[in-house]
Amino acid sequence: MLEIKNLHVNVDGREILKGLDLTLPAGEVHAIMGPNGSGKSTLAYVLAGKQDYEVTAGSVTWKGEDLLAMAPSERAAAGVFLAFQYPMEIPGVATMTFLRTAVNAVRKARGEPELSTPDFLRLVREKAKLLKIDPEMLKRPLNVGFSGGEKKRNEILQMALLEPALCVLDETDSGLDIDAVRIVAEGVNALRSPDRAMLVITHYQRLLDYIVPDRVHVLSDGRVARSGGAELALELEESGYAEFGEATRGEAKSGAAA
Amino acid sequence: MELPAQQFRTKAEQAYLDMFEGARKALPGARDPFVSGLRSKAIETYARLGLPHRRIEAWKYTDLRARLTDVHPLLSAVGVPVGEADLAQALAAAVAGLPSYRLVMVEGDLRADLSDISGLKAAGVEVVSLAQALEKPPSWLKAVLGKVNPRDDDPVLALNTALMTGGAALRVREGVTLDKPIHLVQLDGTGEPASTVTRNVVVAQPGSSITVAESFGSLGIRGLQRNAVTELLVGDKAAIRHVKIEREGDDALHLSTWLVELGADARYDAFQFSIGAAVIRNQVYARFAGEGSALDISGAFLMRGRQHCDTTLLVEHAVPRCTSRELFKGVLDGEARGVFQGKIIVSPGAQKTDGKQMAGALLLSETAEFDSKPELEIFADDVVCGHGSTSGQIDEDLLFYLEARGIPEAQARALLIQAFVGEAFERVEDEGLRNAFAAASAEWLSVRLD
Ligand SMILES: Nc1ncnc2c1ncn2[C@@H]1O[C@H](COP(=O)(O)OP(=O)(O)OP(=O)(O)O)[C@@H](O)[C@H]1O
Ligand SMILES: [Mg+2]
Repeated sequence: MLEIKNLHVNVDGREILKGLDLTLPAGEVHAIMGPNGSGKSTLAYVLAGKQDYEVTAGSVTWKGEDLLAMAPSERAAAGVFLAFQYPMEIPGVATMTFLRTAVNAVRKARGEPELSTPDFLRLVREKAKLLKIDPEMLKRPLNVGFSGGEKKRNEILQMALLEPALCVLDETDSGLDIDAVRIVAEGVNALRSPDRAMLVITHYQRLLDYIVPDRVHVLSDGRVARSGGAELALELEESGYAEFGEATRGEAKSGAAA
Repeated sequence: MELPAQQFRTKAEQAYLDMFEGARKALPGARDPFVSGLRSKAIETYARLGLPHRRIEAWKYTDLRARLTDVHPLLSAVGVPVGEADLAQALAAAVAGLPSYRLVMVEGDLRADLSDISGLKAAGVEVVSLAQALEKPPSWLKAVLGKVNPRDDDPVLALNTALMTGGAALRVREGVTLDKPIHLVQLDGTGEPASTVTRNVVVAQPGSSITVAESFGSLGIRGLQRNAVTELLVGDKAAIRHVKIEREGDDALHLSTWLVELGADARYDAFQFSIGAAVIRNQVYARFAGEGSALDISGAFLMRGRQHCDTTLLVEHAVPRCTSRELFKGVLDGEARGVFQGKIIVSPGAQKTDGKQMAGALLLSETAEFDSKPELEIFADDVVCGHGSTSGQIDEDLLFYLEARGIPEAQARALLIQAFVGEAFERVEDEGLRNAFAAASAEWLSVRLD
């Protein structure tokens, strides 16, 4: 479904991804782990189409198409969704207005009719309830004054509304309390399906207890240094990233902090 | 060597003097000693000062003397036929249809057929056409005309006093609260390039509370040169919410001066929305004359092409315990230029003054420009005053966030622009007006999207 081959990416003239290969088949969930600064968020941004990330070599194919040739909004319409590590605050745009604009833009691009106001409201309420999001919160400007956990839940709400086929979650569990991790994981699991693939970037085994991955990849210095089954994450929790030649051991050991 | 102004005049400077001489005997109130006295004094002031130019600090960014090369003849009311469809066209439907007591002035002429004068009378507001009232001014008008926060150092204001031919004067009875805004619609004509000089006077007697919306629209005249003055007297414990919507022709010159004076425990909340004209100068002189009062003068402007919008405010805290707030937001595209000059003067003894101003511009092109010049002159010690100014482009990270959610780039930009000016609209209490502004800016943005 998603095929990344020999991907090289420069940011500000510095090479961050240095020949990354990754294949994500439909229906599977892959976890991406790796030390700080290894390029995980860079990969996520490149998939979503952020400017200023210069692809110098390699390819990304999504459902047989060249993903890198598409504008960010076209990627979203084609089913690519990135849950941001740091969601943006936008004063002056009510969350509800934003959600509705996004849902209808994607529906329009997919050739589906726009949702009527009552239908949209019903849909939002239903999804918000699953994620234990207070509908009052959605009247506020987008993410402005939201707590860290509220922002992350809002990301998953957007994911649930846009029904993407590729979900990229960049540290969605960071900053969440223990109950919130479970709620978010349940929200993600509800979206697991044979025609949907997921990339879950995380530092913590805890999230992977709930969202059990089909594969785990360790990113180090801009490449996939090792891949394995779900047990690889447990192993990393024990040994850290020492074998990948990094000075730091990542945050895998500090799993108790939230 | 600099010659005194009266020894050298530009063609345009001289044209105004000639215009006055030519029209003098026919101007409304020519036979009334009070009115003709006002006019004579004003034309002397103008003759002394000449047109303002860039070496005058308050006009630093808007060199009117250099810009104004030809002065168009004074427009006289000729009874242009105007219907509801024309109003909707000239003002945008959302503005024309605003639930209100509407007073329509075409070329300065108050048009009874399009206005709700009797409705206003019944609600406790006296309305007179200025052109008629000047012929024999009622005593209440004499008591205020040219006396609200008066100035003798402003040539544009002086020209208005010398040449004013139309407008409306309103007096709100003590304690009256209106259920909907008074909408003063001011339309230019359809013919050849012309000057129009109008003045509105609003007196809110003690304890009254009103909303006044002034909208300026175009029926299609070319090269309009407008000089509009509004005098507002906010009585003790009275409240005026004042809104201006400017949407004139692409080649119009719009000179607007507001003179505002607040009594004690009074409130004045103003908002200026500018979207049309080639050159706009919005000047507001506001003065606290009674203690315990508050004002908010805010606004938004959306400019493109080579449009120029200058907002210059002077707020005088002459007495203690008053609060002033200013927030202006501008969106500038193409080679447009925005100017914000905000001056707050706190007189000796005006303790417990609280004054804050903020101006920000969003630049949509490399060639757009925003100049902001705040000035604080504080002669009292127990005061809180502050100002701030920002200018920048659309935040690419925010844009990416919206695009990543499927919103196409142009639409995402429009959303961010609306969010930016929307913050200023929040200052407007009336929901109908807020919606009208949002609709007008959406229309402005839709041109960008095409
Ligand atoms: N805009 C930028 N300019 C310069 N360097 C950048 C930029 N963005 C990222 N980098 C660098 O690229 C490297 C990879 O960053 P990235 O955010 O992808 O790491 P990460 O694996 O997500 O780390 P973390 O676990 O801390 O989230 C880092 O060294 C970072 O400093
Ligand atoms: Mg990261």
